[in-house]
This record gives sequence, C-alpha cells and structure tokens, in this order.
Amino acid sequence: MRFSSLLPSALVLGAGIAEAASGWNFDEAIISVSAKGAAGAAGAFKDKLSDHVPLSKPVTLGQTETLKIILTATENGEPKRPHQAFLLLRDQDTGLEETFPLQTKESGKGKVDFATLKSQKDLPIQLLTSSQPLRATLLLASFGSTQAFANHVFNLDIQTDPNVAKPKYEKPLRYGQLGEINHIFKADPKSGPVIISLLFTVAVVAAVPILFGSWVLLGANLSHLPKATAAAPVSHSLFFSSILGMEGIFFLYYYNWSLFEMLPVAGVIGLVTFLSGSKALSEVQSRRLAGER
Amino acid sequence: MRWILSFLLLAFLATVQAVSSAGYKLLVVLEELADKSKYSKYLGDLEARGFSISYESPKSDKVALFTLGERAWDHVLILPPKAKGLGPLLTPKLLLDFINAGGNILVALSASQPTPSGLISLLLELDIHIPTDRSALVIDHFNYDTLSAAEKHDVVLVPRPDAIRPDVKNFFKGDGKGGEAIAFPRPVAQTLGNASPLLTPLIRAPRSAYSYSPKDDVDSVEDPFAVGQQLSLITTMQARNSARFTVVGSSELLEDTWFDAKVKRSVGMNGAPAGNEFKTSNQAFAKEVTGWTFKETGVLKVGQIEHHLNETGSEIVSNPKIYRVKNNVSYSIELSEYSWDKWIPFTPPTGDIVQLEFSMLSPFHRLPLKVAETTLTSTIYTTSFKLPDQHGIFNFKVNYKRPFYTNVEEKNTVTVRHFAHDEWPRSWVITGAWPWIAGIGATVTGWVAFVGLWLWSKPVPLKGAKGGKKNL
Repeated sequence: MRFSSLLPSALVLGAGIAEAASGWNFDEAIISVSAKGAAGAAGAFKDKLSDHVPLSKPVTLGQTETLKIILTATENGEPKRPHQAFLLLRDQDTGLEETFPLQTKESGKGKVDFATLKSQKDLPIQLLTSSQPLRATLLLASFGSTQAFANHVFNLDIQTDPNVAKPKYEKPLRYGQLGEINHIFKADPKSGPVIISLLFTVAVVAAVPILFGSWVLLGANLSHLPKATAAAPVSHSLFFSSILGMEGIFFLYYYNWSLFEMLPVAGVIGLVTFLSGSKALSEVQSRRLAGER
Repeated sequence: MRWILSFLLLAFLATVQAVSSAGYKLLVVLEELADKSKYSKYLGDLEARGFSISYESPKSDKVALFTLGERAWDHVLILPPKAKGLGPLLTPKLLLDFINAGGNILVALSASQPTPSGLISLLLELDIHIPTDRSALVIDHFNYDTLSAAEKHDVVLVPRPDAIRPDVKNFFKGDGKGGEAIAFPRPVAQTLGNASPLLTPLIRAPRSAYSYSPKDDVDSVEDPFAVGQQLSLITTMQARNSARFTVVGSSELLEDTWFDAKVKRSVGMNGAPAGNEFKTSNQAFAKEVTGWTFKETGVLKVGQIEHHLNETGSEIVSNPKIYRVKNNVSYSIELSEYSWDKWIPFTPPTGDIVQLEFSMLSPFHRLPLKVAETTLTSTIYTTSFKLPDQHGIFNFKVNYKRPFYTNVEEKNTVTVRHFAHDEWPRSWVITGAWPWIAGIGATVTGWVAFVGLWLWSKPVPLKGAKGGKKNL
C-alpha cells in the first residue's frame, strides 16, 4: 500500500529534478525581510529558497519592512539572464494576482543577481486585506526552447499594524443584480385599549339616565301635554317632530348623505320648525301669562 | 422557370432573415483590396450570414460614416491600415459620433502594423490603453504555439474564455466542451480603466503573459506595460445606447492562415506536458466575437408592458394612469432575446434575475420578476405587490443592464394618490371614537328631552317653600 503510493511521487520528484537540470532554474536564492533603515540587523528574517518545495513557514512582512530576494538564474546549469523574471503574488481568497518584475543586475563573473524590494506600499489594497497568506510564484523564462521555470516558492503573510486603520477597498460600479428592496410601510393608526373606550362609553351613556333621574327628582313632568295639544295640536306636534326630524337628518348626513342631499331637506324641515315653532311657543307664552307656568 | 424564381426568392428571404438585429450594411475599412484575400474565409462567413459588405480604403472619400447627417452603415470593421493614420473621414470624433448614433465598430489591431494615432485617441477616449511603443506585443513563455513560434513565443494560445462572473452569460464558450485553443499571433495588449462598467475584457491573457517592446526590452523586461491577466487581448465596450465596440488585439487571428492552422501547446506553467497537434478554434470564435459586436447575439427586446389593479372585486383595466396608495398592483413585461437569426424567449443566466423597481427619485420597491409564461419568441415576467404608502408620481422601472446584453431601461409613469376622504374606515369601526359617538348620542337625547320639558312641564311647588313655586 505504502509503496504503491510512494512510488509515483518519487518518480514525479525524479522527473522534476531531471527537468530542472535541463531548463531555467536558479541558484543560491536568498530571501530576506528587514526593517527599513536597519538592513542586515539582527533578528531580520533570512532563508534560502528551494526550487521545488515552498518554504514550510510563511514569510511575514510587517508594516515598515521590505522584502528582498537575491538569486542567480541559470539556464541548463549556466548562469544567464532570463527575459522574464517575475514574482507573482496571488490572493488565495479571490484568485487576484499581482506580478512584480524583478530588477536584474548584471555583475561580473557571469553571475546574474536579481533583487526585488517590496514593501507593503507596493502592494495593491486588495492583496493587503487578504485573509490568507499570499501565494508567491517565481517565473524564470526566456525565448527559445529551454524549459521555463515556474514554481510556488513561498507564502507571504502580510502583517498590518492593528493601530493603523486598514485601507478600505471600494468596489467599482459593475452592472449586475441589485439588492431587493421592500418598502417599509408606516404602522397603521391604532386605538387605545377597547376596555378603556368601553368604560368611558358606558360612563357617557350612564350620564343620560342620571340626567333624567335628577330632572324627575326635581319635579320635571309632562302634565301640560294634554292642555298644550288641546290648545294648539298641529303646531305642537309639528314643532316637536320637526326637531326630531332635524336630528334624523343630522344622523343621515353622518351615515351616508352628502351635503347637497341634506341641505334642501334641512331647509324644508327648518321652515316647518320656524312656522310651527312660533305658534307653539306663543301657546307656551300664553300659559305663562295665564300664570300656569 | 417559375419554381426557380420562387426558389431564388426563398433563398433571398432566407439570407435577409439570417442577419443581425441591427441591420446588414457593413463597411470594411481595408487599405488594399488585395488584402481581402487574406481574410477571405472570415469575410465569406459574414456574407453568408447576410451582411452586405462594402470595402473602402481608409483614405478614400467614399468612406464617410454619415451621409446627410444620417448613419450610412450599420456596422464598421476596421482592419489595421499600413499607413500611420486614418483618413479625414475616420477621425476619432466621427467614430464616436458613429457609436453615439448606434453603429457598431470592430477594430482589429496588429503589432506588425503600427496602430494609427487616430485609433489610439479613440481608444483613450473609451479608457482603453495600449502600449506607447507601437510595435509592442504580448508573449507568453508558457502558452505559446511550438509549431509556429518555437523561438519567439509570440503566438499565444488562449483557451475559450470563462464567464467573467458566475451570473453573466458566456456567449463565447463555443460548444462548451473545453480543450480548445484560440491562437493570438502577435497580439497588441490592452489595459482597461477600472471606473467604467461599460468596458468588459472578453479575453484576458494567461497569468504568465506579458507585453514587451522588441526594441527596448532586448535582454530582459524590467518595466513591462502590463502583465498577466491585467492584459486584455479582446476588449468590448457597450455604450449606453447599446452600440457595441470591440477591439481585437490580433488582426491575424481573423486571417485564413490561422483559421486552419494546426497548433501545438508548449509546456504549461503547471508543468503539463505539451499535447498533440490540433486545429485552432479561431473561425468559430471569430464568428462569436463578430456576431456579438454586430448584434447577432445578446440583443434584448421588450414586448408588451402591462400593469393593472389587483384588488378583489375590482375590474381589470390595463395600464391605468392613477393608483391609490396601498393598492395591490400586478406588473408584467415581455422580453425576447435575438440569437443569430431569430427571436427566442429570454432567460437570464443562473444566478441572475430581472428586477422591477417602483421608484420616485429612489426605488421604494425593488422586486424580482418571475416567469409567468413562455411564448415561442418571448418570456413574460410578472410580479404583484402593494404600492407604498406615499403619494406622488412614481415609475414602474425595469433597468436590466448586464455585461454582453443590450440595455433594457423601461419606465412607465403613474400617479399614486392618497386616500380620498370617503375611503378611510368609518368612525364606528374605530374603538377610540366610541365615547365621543356616545357623547353625541347623549347630547341629542338630552336636548330632545329638554325641549319636551320646556314645552310641556308643569311647575311643581318646591318642598319647604310656602305657596308653591314659580308662579310666573
């Protein structure tokens, strides 16, 4: 079991080495991270890059630190300057990748050094806000048939200063579906508790029998009704019923009549009230003058 | 004899039908007519699809885009001229006017023939940037054709593009099987400004590609124009009026040689070994890109729009001018999509929806429209909702703008009035009004009883007072 799974990977590894020897590759790649103004200070990070295995631990890059890679590119084992020497940093959340061409310097003795100086200022905002370490890939390639080199060499962990606000990334406008909006309606008007309304309604309605009761207690009566109707039967009945009728009109107006339905009827009833009232009230006056009231 | 005539007529009708939704008049701007033979397959495909093609030299005085102030062509194809500039009838301003008038333009660039400065300023106007060095080209040491560019690596093999976003339809994926490659011989790189939603890269370069200038960057490239996926090899711009503008980075892509060419992939970035020889997909891909640019695909049409009151017991009147606040309302819109030669029902890609906004200045409602019915040529989308409790002048607005689809912006204005005085609930329904209604009742009863007493009450002697009371 073990052997069967180990064997192919060993083969692949072997093939990788064989390929590496015949194509583009690099020698003595040194990656270092140092704080600004204190190059080579103690405590600075320094490691050697391997051409087939990425560094086991991510390289951390602080706010003020710079990253530097020095390597010697080789073609088929001979130091040579490649046309393309790029460091690719990929945001593993979004797949966004930024490329940094390495600065090449031709030194003597056939050696080609590369150096790149990267601080956080050189990185786009999107990469700074990535939640995972950036995946760094090194590309060494040139024209011709020589096999180009591309490998994942290390992971870069961006350490942002917690005291400094993270730069905000504002998404540019792109056409697409927008968020759903549902109108929030104003709450319907609400009455107070029914029990309180009922309590006060009962209190108001109860005032009517109390009023009638106190009138009766004070001696109110309708004893003159036969006398009045005998003296002026038409005007008394018309006057009282026209007053009742007027209240009825008011009720109909409240219930479903319009103003123009109500006004003519109210005018007729009003005229009746006026004519019959003058007669009926003269009869009342005559009783008063007769000392009966 | 007669059957031949009718057959000819039928054939004619067929070619007329199988044409773009935006017209068939195509102007090809080509420096030398002899060059026509280089593109014979591509132009033949266009003619077979029903375009009537006129060929003019960029310097010709017959090349005018406008005659008597009207657009003279529906589409323009500009192939790279040998001369440094385009003629006085193809200035950037005239080309922009042409787009503003609804014409579609396809521009092919070439690294071997310097791009005229007029075209460069047109591209700049649209926020498309190309390298300042006119001979700069894109190369890729990991995705080149080992048969034709083993040394220079300047024939970039790019797979069919993926959808730019999961919710955007991919018109350029071919049959979708994968494994195809499009050969871009000596392409000119474009980079796009980030601000405009009208610009969309149709095909980006592979990760490992870069643009370099053969004159300046001889030994090694240190300050490339742009690299990797930031390079666009084909760029599209769809204006607000849905006119389309496409820049193809490599004019050789459209040539007969590359329609038929066999290519072989180099060893890729992931170490994948070189495969076998296979034919490029340039012909099918060129058809898709040109078809999109000349509005044979991705064109939307709005059919009938209808809205009505959706209350129980109300009669249905179509498209009334006025509604009341809090009315229930139904809205429906009919959408069709043009696909090569016919209108088909429009269905948005998975993950995308058509939305209806009900707006006064800003949307009060933005609701998804659901498919109610599909006819042979269209889909009817509908939704029902309650109007907001705000009176004013509102719009039913469908604002469907998506990359690669023409813009749909439909506004139907209605008035929303507030409640009339007799549409509110009556006072006896409101419990808080009961004491007040009872109060009126009590006053009326008391008043009528008082009138009776005033008329007919007989004075009674007060208790304790001698001689009775009130003998007035």
